[in-house]
Amino acid sequence: MEEFTCIICPNGCKIKVEKIEDGFKVEGNICKRGYEFAINEMTNPKRSLCTTVKTSYKDFPRLPVKTDREIPKDMIFKVMEEINKINLTHMVKSNDIIIENVLGTGANIVSTCDMELIFKEE
Amino acid sequence: MNGGAVLGRIEKIQGEIINSVSKNIFCAEKRNSILLEGEVETYEEVIKAGKLATNRGYKGVINNIKVKGLTLPSRKHPKLIDNKLERKKVDVLIIGGGVIGSAIARELSKWEISILLIDKEDDLAVHASSRNNGMIHPGIDPNPKTKKAYYNVQGNKLYSKVAKELDVSFERCGNIVLYDAWYGKIISPVLKLRARLNGVEGMKYLSKRETKELEPYIYDDFIGSVIFPTTGIVSPYKMTIAFAENAVLNGAEVSLNTAALSIKCEDRKIIYVDTNRGRIFPKIVINAAGVHADEIAEMADDRFFTIHPRKGHILILDKKKGQFLNSIVSKPAINQSKSGTKGGGVTKTIDGNILVGPDAVEQPFKEDYSTNKENIDNIINKHFPILPLISPSDIITYFSGNRAATYEEDFIIEKSEYVKNLIHAAGIQSPGLASAPAIALDIEKMAVEVLSTMMEVKPKEKWNPYRKGIPELFKMSEKERNEYIKKRPDYGIIICRCEEISKGEIVDAINSPIPVNSLDAIKRRVRPGMGRCQGAFCTPSVAKIIEENANKNILEITKKGGESYLVVEETKKGGGAQFGIL
Amino acid sequence: MEFYDVVVLGAGPAGLAAGLSSYEEGANTLIIEREKYPGGILKQCIHDGFGLVEFKERLTGPEYAERFIKMVRNKKIPILTSTFVTSIKKEEEIFILSVVSKDGIIKVGAKAIILANGCRERTSKQIGIHGTRPSGVMTAGLAQYFVNIMGYLPCKKCIILGSGDIGLIMARRLTLEGAKVLGVYEVKNSPSGLTRNIVQCLNDFSIPLYLSKTITKISGDDRVEGVEICDVDENMKPIKGTEKFIECDGVILSVGLIPENEIAESLNVEIDNATKGPYVDQNFMTKVDGIFSCGNALHVNDLVDYVTESGRLAGKSAAKYASSKYKRALNPIEIPLNKFLYAVPQYIDINSDNNKVVMYLRSRDIVKNVKVIIKSRNEILYEKRYTHLNPPEMERIVFDFNRSSLNDYSIKILMQEG
Repeated sequence: MEEFTCIICPNGCKIKVEKIEDGFKVEGNICKRGYEFAINEMTNPKRSLCTTVKTSYKDFPRLPVKTDREIPKDMIFKVMEEINKINLTHMVKSNDIIIENVLGTGANIVSTCDMELIFKEE
Repeated sequence: MNGGAVLGRIEKIQGEIINSVSKNIFCAEKRNSILLEGEVETYEEVIKAGKLATNRGYKGVINNIKVKGLTLPSRKHPKLIDNKLERKKVDVLIIGGGVIGSAIARELSKWEISILLIDKEDDLAVHASSRNNGMIHPGIDPNPKTKKAYYNVQGNKLYSKVAKELDVSFERCGNIVLYDAWYGKIISPVLKLRARLNGVEGMKYLSKRETKELEPYIYDDFIGSVIFPTTGIVSPYKMTIAFAENAVLNGAEVSLNTAALSIKCEDRKIIYVDTNRGRIFPKIVINAAGVHADEIAEMADDRFFTIHPRKGHILILDKKKGQFLNSIVSKPAINQSKSGTKGGGVTKTIDGNILVGPDAVEQPFKEDYSTNKENIDNIINKHFPILPLISPSDIITYFSGNRAATYEEDFIIEKSEYVKNLIHAAGIQSPGLASAPAIALDIEKMAVEVLSTMMEVKPKEKWNPYRKGIPELFKMSEKERNEYIKKRPDYGIIICRCEEISKGEIVDAINSPIPVNSLDAIKRRVRPGMGRCQGAFCTPSVAKIIEENANKNILEITKKGGESYLVVEETKKGGGAQFGIL
Repeated sequence: MEFYDVVVLGAGPAGLAAGLSSYEEGANTLIIEREKYPGGILKQCIHDGFGLVEFKERLTGPEYAERFIKMVRNKKIPILTSTFVTSIKKEEEIFILSVVSKDGIIKVGAKAIILANGCRERTSKQIGIHGTRPSGVMTAGLAQYFVNIMGYLPCKKCIILGSGDIGLIMARRLTLEGAKVLGVYEVKNSPSGLTRNIVQCLNDFSIPLYLSKTITKISGDDRVEGVEICDVDENMKPIKGTEKFIECDGVILSVGLIPENEIAESLNVEIDNATKGPYVDQNFMTKVDGIFSCGNALHVNDLVDYVTESGRLAGKSAAKYASSKYKRALNPIEIPLNKFLYAVPQYIDINSDNNKVVMYLRSRDIVKNVKVIIKSRNEILYEKRYTHLNPPEMERIVFDFNRSSLNDYSIKILMQEG
C-alpha cells in the first residue's frame, strides 16, 4: 500500500492505494479525479523536468529547457545526466529541440527561451 | 600612578579579591603593574577582580584569570601564507588597520620614511572601526583629566578639517540628551562643570519646545534637553579607508591579510616581526591592534594592560524612516554603570539611516560578533520609545562590535616604558573614532622622536593632505549627477536599487588606491547591499562587476575574504559535448 | 521633457500586462525597467506551472514572460531598460519622474503612474535569526539566480528555512543540480507553499519537511558551518532544551515576500498593513489620484496569472483616468481580520462606471466548509461555498454592485460556517 497527497485541487486528500487482485483499492479520495491521480502515481508516475543547459555565451551561461512531455519519475536523474553533457554554441528560440527523444523516453528536451529576444536591446 | 611596589599594597588587594570574588585568584607584581592569575567559575568574577585591582597605584592590570571550562579561541588569522614581505625593512611598522592605525599612517606619511601598515583582515576597518554608530562625540562623557577627554575634544575639533581634506562626508549634527524633571536637576551642574573642565564648547539647555523644533518626531515624555552642537556624524569605515588611502597616495604601504604572529626582541628592542607573509624588520613598531593590542604588547614582552572586550549591538533601520530624525538623541538611564558608554540612543547616520543602540555587554570573546535575541530585544525596548514612528518592522539588519576596553578605562597613548622602539595606541574604545585625528598627531610626534635617534627624519616636500573620495551620486543635485554620467555612463546604471548605487561607483571602489574585491569591502566603500534587501537583488550584479574589473572568477569572489566564497562550484561540470552545428 | 499618458514602473508580468492594456485602451504609454532585460523575476523561474489561467497552458517562467514581451514589442510600446526612477513629484495635475540611465538624468511627465515594482524577499535579520554572519546564508531568490541564470551552486549541503513556494522550488532545483538539501524547516504548523510544490519538489526527492521548527542560530566564520534548530511552541517561540545542531554549508531562506513600495510611500500613498501594499479601489487606483498599483507590489500573489490580471485591469483604468479625470467617492470594504488575512481591493469607488469588482482574498486559517459572503446593507452581492480555504492559496472572486444601492453603505465581507 502507498499513500499520496492529491494535488488535483486544494483539498489535498491523503489517498491510500493498494494493489488487489483485480485492480486497486483506493481510500481517502473524495472525487473521481483523485482516484485516477492515485492510481497513476502508483502505477506510472510521470513528471515534466525543467532545468538548464550550459551555453558558451558569456552573458547567457545557462539556457532554460524543459521536457516537452512528461517522463517517468525514476528517469529524472538519468535525463539530468544527459542534459548536463550539453554545451550549447548557437542561439536558439523557444521550443527548439536541444536533445531529441532523450534516453528513448519519447520526450524532447526543448528550449524555453528565445535567446535573441532576451539579447535584443530595447 | 606609576609608583613602584608599596609594601603591603598587593596583600591588601589580594585580601579584597579573596573576600569579594574568589579565593582562587592570586595577585602578583610584574614590573610596575599588577598581575592576576588563577581560575574562577564565571567571567563576571574575572571582570570583578580586574576592576578591584584597577587604579590602586599600579601602571596597569594584567588580568590572566581563567574561567573554568572556558577555552578562549585564539586570534583568527588568515590562512594565506606567502613570502610577500620576507626580509622587508621598514622605518615604521603599524600593526592594525582600524581608524587609529590608518590615521597614524596618514600623519606619518608627511615624513620621508617608509611606512608599512599591516592588518590581518581582508580589508581595513573590519572590527571596531566599522562596528560603531559613526558618532563624533563632543567630549562630555570622559572624566576630566583623562587621555580620553583630551583626545576626544581635540579630535572632535580636527574633524571638520580632516574630513574636508579626505573628502569624507561629515556633519556636525549635534546630539541631544533628553531629561526628565529630577534627572535634569541632578545632572545639569555636573555637566556644566565637566564641559568646562574638558573644554567642550557650545553646550546649551533647551526647553521642551526648543527641543521639539529640532527633533519634531521624538516622544513627549521629557521636560527638556541638553544639546552638544559640536557632535558630529561620519561613516566610520569610509573615514578609516580615507585615512589609509591618503597615506598610500603619499607613499605608505598597506598589506592586508597580514597578521603579526610573533615579535623578536633583543636588548629591549624589537628586531623583527614574523607574519604569515614573511619576516619584517622595522625600525619602530606602532601597536594599534584594537582588541588584540594587549596580545601584541605581550609578544614584545611589554604587556601591562588587558583588553576586556565590551560588546555593543546596533540595529539599522530602513532609510525611509530617516526623515524622522535629524541628529543623535539619547535618554540616559539613571543607573548606568560607570564603565559603560552613555547607553546609546538613536542616531541619524551620514547616509540617512537611523541606527539604534549600542548597548554594552562584558563578554570574553574578542572576535565574536554573533548576536542574540535578548540583546536585540533589550535595545528595541529601551530606545524605540524615543521615536514613536519607528517599529521593529523597520529593522533591516543588526550587528555588533567589541570595544577595546582596558580596566583603567583610558586610552594608552605612549612610548613603551620597556621596549625602546615600540609605541602603543591601545585601549582605544569609544570615543576612539572621534579621538583618532588627535591621537594620530601625538603618535606621529612620538614616532618621529624615536626614529630621529636612529636616522635622519625629514618632512616630505610633496606631501598631499588631499584625497578624492568616490563620488556619491545619489546625494548630488541632478545637474551635477548628469555631468558625472555624461563623463562616465556607468554612473547612470543603478546596480543597488535600495541605496541607489551605480555601476560606476562600484568600479571606482574596485580600482581604489587600496584595491579590494570582496563584497563587504565594496560595501564599506560604496554601500551596495546595505539597504533593505541586504543584497538579495544586487549580489550577482556586484559579483559580475568584480569579475570584469578585478579579473577574478566568480568562484574566487568572497563575502569578506578568507573562505567566505559566494558560490561553491559550477553546475554541469560534465558539459563536454559541443552542441551547435546542426 | 517627454510626456506620456501613462508611465508603468516595472517590466515584470504586472508591468508588461499593465503597459499592454493601457496602450490598447488608447493611452500613450511608457514602461520603465531597472534591469537590463524585461521579464522581471520570471526570467529565473525556469520551472513550469505558469499560465494555466491566462493561456490554459503549462508554461515555464521564461516562456510566460516571452509571450508578453513579444506582445509589447509587436505593438512597439516603448520600454526603457537599465533605467531607474529616482523620484516622482506631483506638479499640478502632472507627475514628473526623474529617470536615470547611462544617458543621464531625464524628466518624464505622466498623467497616471502604474506601480508594478514587484516585491522583495525577507532576509535572515528581518525574521530575527541570530548567530554569526558567514557567507552561505541567502534568500531563495538569490540562490535561484545563482543556479538558474549563472550556473553555480551556492552550497553543497544546505537547509531551507521556510516552506514558501520559492524555497520548495529551490529544494528541487538544488537537488537536481547535485546539492544535498537536508530538509525544509517551517516555523508554522502548516506549510506556506502550495500542496503541488510540497508533493513535486519535496516528496518526489525524499526531502523532509519539518513543521513547527526554526533556526535559532547560525554558526561559522567564513562559510556557514551549521545551524541550531529548535522546536517552537504554539506562539512560534523556540522551546528551550530542544536545540539541535545540524552541519551544513548553506542556509536558504524562503520566509516571505514584501511588496516594494518605497516610491509609493514617497508619494504619500497609504499602505495597507495587511498586504504591505497600497490601498486600492476596484480600478487599482491607490488613495492618491492618478497612481495605480498592481501585481506583487500590491499584494503578494501565488499565481502569476493573477499578477497579469491585476496589471491588465490597472492598465485599463489608468488609461481611462488619463483621458478623463474623475472625482472618486471611496467606500471602504469591511473585512473581519480574524477570518481573513486580507482582501484587495480595500475600497469601492462608487462614482466609477466600473461596477465589476475583481477581488483577491486569503483566509487567515485553514478552514473547511465555509461560505464567503459579500454584502451591502441587506443585499447579498456574492456568495460562495468553499469546502476548503487555505491561506497559501489565494481566492479570486468577481462580483457586481449597484451604485444606487451602495450610497453611504460600505461593503462587508463575511465568512460563515456551512
